[in-house]
Amino acid sequence: MRVLLIEDEVRLAQNIASALREGPGFAVDCAEDGETGLDLAGNLCYDLIVLDLMLPKVDGLAVLQRLRQRRDRTSVLILTAKVGHSSIVELLNAGADDYLSKPFDLGELIARAKALIRRSKGFATPTLRVSDLEVNTVEQTVRRANELVELSPTEYRILEYLIHKPRVVVSKRELLEHLYDYNWEHHSNVVEAHVSNLRKKLDAATGQPSIETLRGRGYRLLVGAEGSQ
Amino acid sequence: MRPYSLTRRLVMTVLFIQLISAAAITGLTVIYEHHTHFHSFDIMLHGRADSLLGAVQDAEDPGDNVMLDGTEVSLPSSDIYEVVDANKRLLGRSRNWSGPNESDASLKEESFFKLRLNGKKYRVLKIGGLRMVDPGDKGGGIPRHVTVIYGSPTESVWRAVWGTVAFYALTSIALLAISGLLMFWLLNRGLAPLRELAAEAAGVSVDSWNFVPSERVRMTKELAPLAGALETVLHGLQRSFVQQRQFVSDAAHELKTSVAVVKSSLQLLAMKRRTVHEYETGLERSYLDCERMEEIVARMLMLARAESEPDQKAAEYSTNMAQSVKLVMEQFETMANVKKMKLVVLGVEEVVVRAEPEELRLLCSNLILNAIQHSHAGSEVRARLKRQGSVAELCIEDDGTGIPPEALPFVFDRFYRSDQSRSRNTGGTGLGLAICKAIVSRHGGTIDIASVVNSGTTVTVRLPVRDA
Repeated sequence: MRVLLIEDEVRLAQNIASALREGPGFAVDCAEDGETGLDLAGNLCYDLIVLDLMLPKVDGLAVLQRLRQRRDRTSVLILTAKVGHSSIVELLNAGADDYLSKPFDLGELIARAKALIRRSKGFATPTLRVSDLEVNTVEQTVRRANELVELSPTEYRILEYLIHKPRVVVSKRELLEHLYDYNWEHHSNVVEAHVSNLRKKLDAATGQPSIETLRGRGYRLLVGAEGSQ
Repeated sequence: MRPYSLTRRLVMTVLFIQLISAAAITGLTVIYEHHTHFHSFDIMLHGRADSLLGAVQDAEDPGDNVMLDGTEVSLPSSDIYEVVDANKRLLGRSRNWSGPNESDASLKEESFFKLRLNGKKYRVLKIGGLRMVDPGDKGGGIPRHVTVIYGSPTESVWRAVWGTVAFYALTSIALLAISGLLMFWLLNRGLAPLRELAAEAAGVSVDSWNFVPSERVRMTKELAPLAGALETVLHGLQRSFVQQRQFVSDAAHELKTSVAVVKSSLQLLAMKRRTVHEYETGLERSYLDCERMEEIVARMLMLARAESEPDQKAAEYSTNMAQSVKLVMEQFETMANVKKMKLVVLGVEEVVVRAEPEELRLLCSNLILNAIQHSHAGSEVRARLKRQGSVAELCIEDDGTGIPPEALPFVFDRFYRSDQSRSRNTGGTGLGLAICKAIVSRHGGTIDIASVVNSGTTVTVRLPVRDA
């Protein structure tokens, strides 16, 4: 999952970014002002935008309005130091999905971020099940046919992304974009290697294939006859 | 204090005055009516007494006496009379008068007196007259002196007097009542603009400062000054209230952000097991975050102090400004060296100003720190101090990044940063220039800023000079 963080207070941005990387293992890009934030959001595909309200150049509310104006449907979590009911109502009406008042709890921020992402992909609970595959996003554990499967952090993140989009073909480019922030060098063969390892570990338990490779198009999570839940 | 109605008070005052006037008129009426009625009563009494005198006749007896011929006169039966001759002999008396002879010798003739008879009050006239017996004889006859006492009851006269008085009194009271009601109504109507003004003023609250007196209030001569004063006061209050609220909101934002930084630093550190080195670095960072928060709090307090009421003692201070400037420049020497910058003191004249020394130093250090923070390595910060008449003029110049023209009007606003992200990185709180402005205003001076982007900024402070 890739998150865009627009926050002008550098130290706070550093802390939030570290927490999102270390906790749920998201890729995080940081923007220090509204203008840069809008540029990044326009050029890249994010799963979540964390937006501060008081920003230089373009303020948070304007960023939100412009995002929604150009039909960007990315979930937006607002960070605000403002008190007062009216501003919150205004924000939610302008298209925000959730908000947190400063000073907030990092754990709560992570939980809300995960909830927003899973909601935007159409899941309600933090445990995602697709046929005999089960991913618990809280404990970050994976089970295949009730057998625990040990995965590396990158493998887990690939699977987490794929399971959020069952039956959909995900290209290597998309996987890359959602796994790494722009500080990383992108090599598609790295993805290939990780997907190959992931497939081996998942299939070892049952012998049934779990991830399908469509040449030149990408990957797809194979869904059994039971369908997704 | 008891509630007090202006209308009622006015009506009562006017009614009281009217009541006194009515009472006075009634009193005068009593006197006047009494006088006129009794005057005609007396004339009538005189006339009747005279006609009674005319009824005294020669008795045609050997003693040449006189007698009263009762058939000669017809008098009201309620009247009383008595006719006496010089020898106190009773010649005649009205039927309703019995009892002792009333002709008192002590009473002079032609005088009136009061008499109470059978429970009735009478006004009585005593007159005397001569009656000639045998006027055809030689010598013109014998004169006989006769005294007539004639009285008539006063009851009817008094009834007439009191009737008139009662008429006047009742009319006055009725008029009082009518005029009272009329006045109440008129006053209520007349005071309508006052009520409108009160209602308008009552509608003002911290959420709605809207105060627009109606045209009627504005055109009322007595209310226009009050409405104007209210408007002015409310405008001032609103401005300072909005400013204050803005300050609280800004301060809350700053503090919450600072707390968020500290809190998130510590939570991040506690998120998982880390190496000793990571803990050390994290703690060091948290410590720096705390220090920054401390600085923001200290600066906000400084600003609150500087923005409190104007210093009453400002005129008493005498501080050598040149010394303060030089001292602060020396203090920043090391910091400038680290940034590879030069601090230059251009012509500094000896000037003594009316400013509190500690605040003057704070002012200088804020300005110089600002200049250093917004300058590149290798550039200069110049300080110039000169005397211009009764004003000391301090200029701090830098060749730094400058301030965009659209930001210039706001640089003295609290928490304003022309480039927020950049200043936060360099440690600015957005309060430095606001504190400067507050200090300068407190001492009756002015502060101005001129800037060209990428060329530099000049801040000019003018403070009143203290003459030795």
